[in-house]
Amino acid sequence: MIPVADIVFYLLAAVLVIAALRVVTTRNPVHSALFLVLTFFTAAGLFVLLRAEFLAAILVMVYMGAVAVLFLFVVMMLDVDFAELRRGALSHLPVGLAVGGVILVELIIVALAQHSAGPVTEPAVAVPNTLAIGRVLYTTYLLPFEIASLVLLVAMIGAIVLTLRKRPDVRKQVISHQLARTRDQAVELKKVASGEGA
Amino acid sequence: MAEFLEYMHGMGTDLLGPVWPLAWTVIKIAVLLAPVMFCVTYLTLAERRIIGFMQIRIGPNRVGPFGLLQPIADAVKLFVKETLIPEKADKVVFLLAPIITLGAALTAWAVIPFSPELILADINVGLLYVLAISSLGVYGLLMSGWASNSRYAFLGSLRSAAQMVSYEVSMGFTLIPVIMLSGSLSLKDVVAAQSGMWFVIPLFPMFVIYFISVVAETNRAPFDLPEAEAELVSGFATEYSAMSYGMFFLGEYANMLLVSTLGVLMFLGGWLPPVSWLGFIPGIIWFLIKLGVLLFAFLWIRATFPRYRYDQLMRLGWKVFLPFSLFWIFLTGTIIHLVGAV
Amino acid sequence: MPVPMPDINLIALLPEILILLVAMGVLLLTAWSRETTQPLLGLVAMAGVALAGGILLIQTGMTTTTFGGLFVLDPFASAMKLLMLVATLLPLLMSWDYLARHRLDIGEYFVLTLFALLGGMLMASSGDFITLYLGLELMSLSIYVLAAFNRDDPKSNEAGLKYFVLGSMASGLLLYGISLIYGGAGGTGFAAVAQAMGEGGGHAPGIGLRLGVVLVLAGMAFKIAAAPFHMWAPDVYQGAPTSVTAFMAAMPKIAGFAAIYRVLLEPFGPMQSQWGPILQFLAVASLAVGALAAIAQTNIKRMLAYSSIGHVGYALIGLASGTELGFRSVLIYLAIYIFMNLGTFALILVVNNAGVGDEINDYRGLAKKRPLLAFLMAIFMFAMAGIPPLAGFIGKFYVFMAAVKAGMIGLAVTGVLFSAVGAYYYLRVVQRMYFEEAETAFRMEVGLLSRLVIAVSTLAVLYWGLLPGGLIDWAEASIRPLL
Repeated sequence: MIPVADIVFYLLAAVLVIAALRVVTTRNPVHSALFLVLTFFTAAGLFVLLRAEFLAAILVMVYMGAVAVLFLFVVMMLDVDFAELRRGALSHLPVGLAVGGVILVELIIVALAQHSAGPVTEPAVAVPNTLAIGRVLYTTYLLPFEIASLVLLVAMIGAIVLTLRKRPDVRKQVISHQLARTRDQAVELKKVASGEGA
Repeated sequence: MAEFLEYMHGMGTDLLGPVWPLAWTVIKIAVLLAPVMFCVTYLTLAERRIIGFMQIRIGPNRVGPFGLLQPIADAVKLFVKETLIPEKADKVVFLLAPIITLGAALTAWAVIPFSPELILADINVGLLYVLAISSLGVYGLLMSGWASNSRYAFLGSLRSAAQMVSYEVSMGFTLIPVIMLSGSLSLKDVVAAQSGMWFVIPLFPMFVIYFISVVAETNRAPFDLPEAEAELVSGFATEYSAMSYGMFFLGEYANMLLVSTLGVLMFLGGWLPPVSWLGFIPGIIWFLIKLGVLLFAFLWIRATFPRYRYDQLMRLGWKVFLPFSLFWIFLTGTIIHLVGAV
Repeated sequence: MPVPMPDINLIALLPEILILLVAMGVLLLTAWSRETTQPLLGLVAMAGVALAGGILLIQTGMTTTTFGGLFVLDPFASAMKLLMLVATLLPLLMSWDYLARHRLDIGEYFVLTLFALLGGMLMASSGDFITLYLGLELMSLSIYVLAAFNRDDPKSNEAGLKYFVLGSMASGLLLYGISLIYGGAGGTGFAAVAQAMGEGGGHAPGIGLRLGVVLVLAGMAFKIAAAPFHMWAPDVYQGAPTSVTAFMAAMPKIAGFAAIYRVLLEPFGPMQSQWGPILQFLAVASLAVGALAAIAQTNIKRMLAYSSIGHVGYALIGLASGTELGFRSVLIYLAIYIFMNLGTFALILVVNNAGVGDEINDYRGLAKKRPLLAFLMAIFMFAMAGIPPLAGFIGKFYVFMAAVKAGMIGLAVTGVLFSAVGAYYYLRVVQRMYFEEAETAFRMEVGLLSRLVIAVSTLAVLYWGLLPGGLIDWAEASIRPLL
């Protein structure tokens, strides 16, 4: 029997790691954003392998369908010269590598330590995970759920406060006014003698 | 049929051994996609003929009887033409874009049930899967617009991205009452839950919003601003030619077919007959009839309405549909709570 | 297997619910009203905060948990929330004229302030890392927006953006730490984590948990602007509208300390040997940065930013000692800090109304023109420097005493040394006011509300400096049940 799940896992994991690396190494910011999208996609694939299909679908819908699109939107329009920005960044490379290395070593130690602790819990397949998440989200974690909604509300208020401007010098279109306009207000008939209309 | 499948399965296992499940899946995918692609190509013909009829023209009728071979002629033409790549274009992204568009449009079909048995992958979050995959189509358009290195294309792709992201929200919200009533994200269960009454009856406003939203979502007239010929010379598709253009085209029609199918499944009872004594007619026939009606509506709208202005489009999506569907979700929840568990 | 609904006792959340309702109400009023009703919005917000304070006073002494342990109400939470309400109400009162002058008095200002307060209150009451994180995020997000609230001022925009970017990074660290702790402990509830950490019987638990502790503390240190996570503070304090700076220097600090208390005493309780040295390091670093960097500052808001970093350092000395006395001393320190700091900011706002800038040199000769204002400013500066008859001295005294009693003589000595260095730059402000000639006339109205705030702060600083008994008893009553 071919261990299909293992093969798929390593394939996805490899693509994920390479894509993640490309996000930071590629020169073109748009390519960078596109690799980020690929990273999300493969991460969603890994969720599916873990039988967390709800999370996978949400990851794709929210992060790829909305967040990354807006991200790409901005990156495409800004035309940032990342090569210019990066020139200075190279001098920070040793520090970055050192910090990254420390975190990597720590993670490996953690992974080893956790591994010896015992096998990962088997997923409870009896209940579809959408149902399972829904059940705890609206009972045990009701309070955090409500607070999260407030966080989103604040984000919305903030975005509007910082960007919406009432500009007195710009005429605003009011569709109801436009629709309520009669022919008399819009059209004026003028009698022009032929040859003098200019 | 079942015996034949059994036979095939046995023979394949003997021949290919462990690789067989993979090959079997590939065969199933091919069997599913062939009719879809067939429908897509003939949808283009139907569109031209129907709109021609509505506008008191003839439409293409030269190739084959009633023009029935026209799509094939179109396909051949697109295949043999040269794929032009603009000099300043980002080649990889440029070529990847149509593939992603078509790929996303076709991948979503994996979980669509055509009857209780006829389904490629019966997963329990089928609806979420369809929504997730269809939200990827926007990348094809964004990438094409950016990679073309052309203002028209870029404007078109920005428009389409904003439009699709906006209308995806209202489209998703119209489907939530359906999920609430059926209590499942599996498309099969949603159809099964409509055996008493199609959801279009209690959720009629949602159905209307859904339909308008998907018209916008698929960039069809009167919301076809991304490719507005008059102002943007075809928008994101300006720089595409030959088969790379053809793939966008196929993707658009496959999407149209997909959202119509989803509408049939979510609101119109899928393969269920309208009344039980008509149950002798096979479910797939009912399915196709309903699909045909929705697709006809797509074409009808295109032939009837002038194009929306962009700010009007955004206003409709965010300020009208979104609050209304949120209110309807609230209402549905209240009623379900009062009536008791569904 | 339906999950049972947790016990829900909304009475415990009454202050939070009230704040939420007022915030929503102000938001709706903003949306529906024309420009004319702005003063009403501010009044509604302040009345809501005051009313919530009343409820809190009634709740004092109540101990209960609700939402299955996600929300904790105990005397400590009530005390911290009370401080937060004061630290919200006073900035709102004193920035009345400032907001009107800079056209910032739109409804959203009050809404965001209230939401920040709500987030802080939830942090103080959290019994679970999830509630803690979400409360923190609610507070931070509101304050990011407030920092950038003066949209037409590039400095304000820069402040908001800087705070947002660095703050998001800190949130990332915190979340990363929480997920490591979740992985190691198998739960996010404080009780569950404490149990997992205590399992080794005093021995070091898994490296995942230890790393988690470090990251969580780093994330929190950012929020209270403790060095070396303080880089954002000077720019943000300087760039943000002064009314926001006043709010930002007080409320989030209390909330951050409340969260640190919760985390150190409950889930990380068994790991004192781990976090003790971390806090000592943070304390010394903050003291050094606060004292040394402030000397070079010419902008008074920037100087106060460094001064607040220094104050955080003193407070951290108390926490690092890890004794009951230490925890109590921090509470005392924070209560005094709020009044010293808000009093100073109230005066800065008043002077700002005269059209003077925020440079320290702009205060030259204030004593000649407005002797009372200069005298009050001098009182607050002396209090911050920790000069004896004023409350600032009491705060420092208790903190150092806690360190000495815990055997951390070195830490206490460091604190005293930096306190002496710090006195220099506070006194520099006094020197400018008293011993230099005035260039401006300092013509401005001191609004009634500003007078009120300044009077309250001055009284607090003087009264607690002479008779700190009540404050000490209050701190003890608040801390004791937690230990």
